[in-house]
Amino acid sequence: MERIRINARNHWQQAVEQLGFGFHTTNVPYWDETAYYEFTMDEVLYIEKATAELWDLCLGAVQHVMDNNLYSRFSIPEAFIPYIERTWTEDHPSIYGRFDFCYKNNQLKMLEFNADTPTSLYEAGIVQWFWLQDFDKGKDQFNSIHEKLIAYWKYLQAYLHPGTLHFTCLKETLEDLTNTEYLRDCAIQAGLETKLVFIDDIGWDTEVQVFRDRENQPLQNIFKLYPWEWLINDEFGAHILTDRNRTFWIEPSWKMILSNKAILPILWELYPDCPYLLPAYFEEGKLLNYVKKPILSREGANITMVRNNTTVQQTAGDYGAEGFIYQELFSLPEFGGNYPLIGSWVIGQEPAGMGIREASSLITDNLSRFVPHLIK
Amino acid sequence: MKKSKHIQLLLITAVLASCNRPGKQPDWQSGNKTYIRSDSTAPYTTVHHYYHGGGIGNALLWYYAFRPYGHYYNGYYQRAGYYSDAIHESSNIGSNTFKSTVIRGGFGRGFSVSS
Repeated sequence: MERIRINARNHWQQAVEQLGFGFHTTNVPYWDETAYYEFTMDEVLYIEKATAELWDLCLGAVQHVMDNNLYSRFSIPEAFIPYIERTWTEDHPSIYGRFDFCYKNNQLKMLEFNADTPTSLYEAGIVQWFWLQDFDKGKDQFNSIHEKLIAYWKYLQAYLHPGTLHFTCLKETLEDLTNTEYLRDCAIQAGLETKLVFIDDIGWDTEVQVFRDRENQPLQNIFKLYPWEWLINDEFGAHILTDRNRTFWIEPSWKMILSNKAILPILWELYPDCPYLLPAYFEEGKLLNYVKKPILSREGANITMVRNNTTVQQTAGDYGAEGFIYQELFSLPEFGGNYPLIGSWVIGQEPAGMGIREASSLITDNLSRFVPHLIK
Repeated sequence: MKKSKHIQLLLITAVLASCNRPGKQPDWQSGNKTYIRSDSTAPYTTVHHYYHGGGIGNALLWYYAFRPYGHYYNGYYQRAGYYSDAIHESSNIGSNTFKSTVIRGGFGRGFSVSS
């Protein structure tokens, strides 16, 4: 893995905007093509293998949590447990997830699994691929995200309720809308009937006891780019349990277990010999160098990095009320003041590609940049 | 690694590129008043406008200016009227009873789920 500095394309902003990528720059650049990461094929195959193996281990860990009733570790309300278990045993449709990896000194370690609402899908699947077509068409990329999304939506069609597949996200956020609309684009190409409804516009029919969209069409299947921990605590959350349509929510609610950082100590307890896992615990004091993470948090908020019992870095935020876990410190590699984090995608049940986000510090936060990659 | 060399996007480029265009400054400030209602059972009121600073806000405001509502009966959709976020509540609801069985706004918090 190497970081190569290059000149950005002339008018790169126009090039990415033509793809519908409108959030390439906020206060600071987010899409950064002044560099790229180069991987050997062996390295890519290693990342792909690790992704496939970890996905299997994660499924085993979900079953373990259910068998041993460990929900309290995840701060999951009791009322939702039967529903979560039903979505697991009935195998409700699931489309994707993203592992975050640290790759350093030929070692790959999983830092966390964004199993419920991973973003940067469009950048990874589309924007970096078109960058490569301009930069060096003859080169390849670890990227079959687009093809796998279409293929898996096609496969899932038989398992959905008949009718429309709705897509939902928050209003007023171009990043969320882009990710959601991209997934919808792939579903349309797979032949599904789709419709967008913003999450704030979803209605609850008090008489018929079903969710409805803005045109009052009942919801049967809905992809949501909106985390389960928010959904179940919202005012309408309890209606999910009484919904007469038994709507398929995608990702399904059992993903609440995998997207929660409480899964990290459980994975470590179950699979201590796995080379891709870092020691992790619910209790403080078992590690000398560690990262303290809230079980529920987003974008690197409320993270504390400790070396020899001394805090070396800390981020602010509003998370932590549900508890913390402690994961052995395996700091990101440095390339001239840049710290890359590999996001490795699982689409359907298979590894599908990767995207790299780069930060200027050891904690990847909401100021990180997306940097493209290619295979040497 | 790449399964196909051809990528087609049906929906996203057109929709999202339009969201990203700088919004036209609204004419609402010109002093002309518009009286409007979304339901024939509701009274007219002047239009009030909320401006979110351009970009996506404007695009979506345009898209959602008037959303049809209705219901499904025996498998057929019957349109009953329109909603609009841009007009006063009293001009939206009227006395239409169908609207009252569906409540909204019970989901949604935060600014982005970015992760």
